[in-house]
Amino acid sequence: MTHEDYKELLAAKALSALDAADARLLATHLESCADCQSEMVELADTAALLASQAQPLEPSTKVRERILASVRAEVQAAPPSDRVSADISQRDGNVIAFERPARNIWSSLGSFGALAATLAFVAMIIALAVMWQKNRSMQSELARLKAEMGQTLAQRDRERAMGELLISPGGHMAKLAGTNVAPDAQAMLAYDKSGHAMLMAKGLPRAPEGMAYQLWYIKDNKKMPGKVFTPDAAGNGMLEDQIPAVARDATVFAITLEPKNGVQVPTGSIYLVSSS
Amino acid sequence: MSLGVQLESAEGSDVELLHAVARGDEAALARLYDAYRVILFGLLVRILNSREEAEDILQDVFIQVWRRAKDFDEKRGRPFTWLVTLARSRAIDRLRQLGARQRLATGAAQEQTESVSDALSDTIRLAQRETVRQALAELPAEQRQTLLLAYFEGLTQSEIAAKLNAPLGTIKTRMRSGMIKLRALLGKQLENFS
Repeated sequence: MTHEDYKELLAAKALSALDAADARLLATHLESCADCQSEMVELADTAALLASQAQPLEPSTKVRERILASVRAEVQAAPPSDRVSADISQRDGNVIAFERPARNIWSSLGSFGALAATLAFVAMIIALAVMWQKNRSMQSELARLKAEMGQTLAQRDRERAMGELLISPGGHMAKLAGTNVAPDAQAMLAYDKSGHAMLMAKGLPRAPEGMAYQLWYIKDNKKMPGKVFTPDAAGNGMLEDQIPAVARDATVFAITLEPKNGVQVPTGSIYLVSSS
Repeated sequence: MSLGVQLESAEGSDVELLHAVARGDEAALARLYDAYRVILFGLLVRILNSREEAEDILQDVFIQVWRRAKDFDEKRGRPFTWLVTLARSRAIDRLRQLGARQRLATGAAQEQTESVSDALSDTIRLAQRETVRQALAELPAEQRQTLLLAYFEGLTQSEIAAKLNAPLGTIKTRMRSGMIKLRALLGKQLENFS
């Protein structure tokens, strides 16, 4: 087979659709052909995107639990030096057993009625206190859930708007990744050809009093200011902006920490930046 | 770092997560699972048509990720491609193990609603889904059919030829042409979505 013959097989390999004989032939060739290896990577990336055509589905929560339990079991089965005994209670043999003092049952009978009545009364008071406390905590939980649901619905509306922006004609997207001052931060900026832009960020540290995060549009090292935003307590932030006409062909986007009203020239550290 | 300093290209967080998994970081595995469970589970259910089988394979896939993360090399592919390829290979192996192409008949397999687990990744996936759908729509119908039969039914080229009663050479040409065109249509998107 010629090099071109092997290249003909690459697309089918990316789809795992090669018949066994062809698969064996190509595997041998791939080991030594950089050109085919490179094309194979591209075709595999393309094939992987087809996964998006399946309906996204949520597995049951048990799967996550089972995976993590299995992984922990593997870790625990590792060499003993790496292992930490989980059963600490069994190691501690210094507990002295509690022994009941000996009692004369006959002498207790006289006071039994009064004792029982007192115990019943105390039990009733405790039960009432527990119920009252339970009711209070249920009400506060209900209020918390209501607030959370309101936030979730608002969040979903924003996500939907952002999704629509992304798939609109001329829609673009830029991913921003956290720098060393905010390694867990991530953001996505979507914008259309009219300059309508939406930014969603997460994992940002809390902005100090009087400070906020500011978006920058950068072209040829020229930094053009965008709006400012303050993330919530969980580090999530959302921003809607109109990109100025002069900044619409920006190639890099960044987020810095600045005074809360924003600045015209960046002064603070970069927390998030897109790839150029 | 200030904006005056040359801007650094940001590293993909999924690559870092895979490296952390390779170092034995369970929390990184959990984050990777949280990020990809919805798209991978959807793919597995589509191939196997059984939630139960798909959950077993999904579990197996992430245990393999735990064991094999050290084999991942970002120079040889993207994390997304690596995970999807691993999941799909397992599913197709299972499908072939189950015999013929008899899908497990479970009407409830796809009753679950879409997940909105993570705002950022879900929005990206939504856009990705629409972009790929549009690209597929631009392919000639017979090319699109060939690609989807291979991808979601796990059929080989010979099996597709038999199923469609078409010459094997025709199927090979359709598959190659379809993938080349799809790669051209999605080329720029790959940068964004992976």
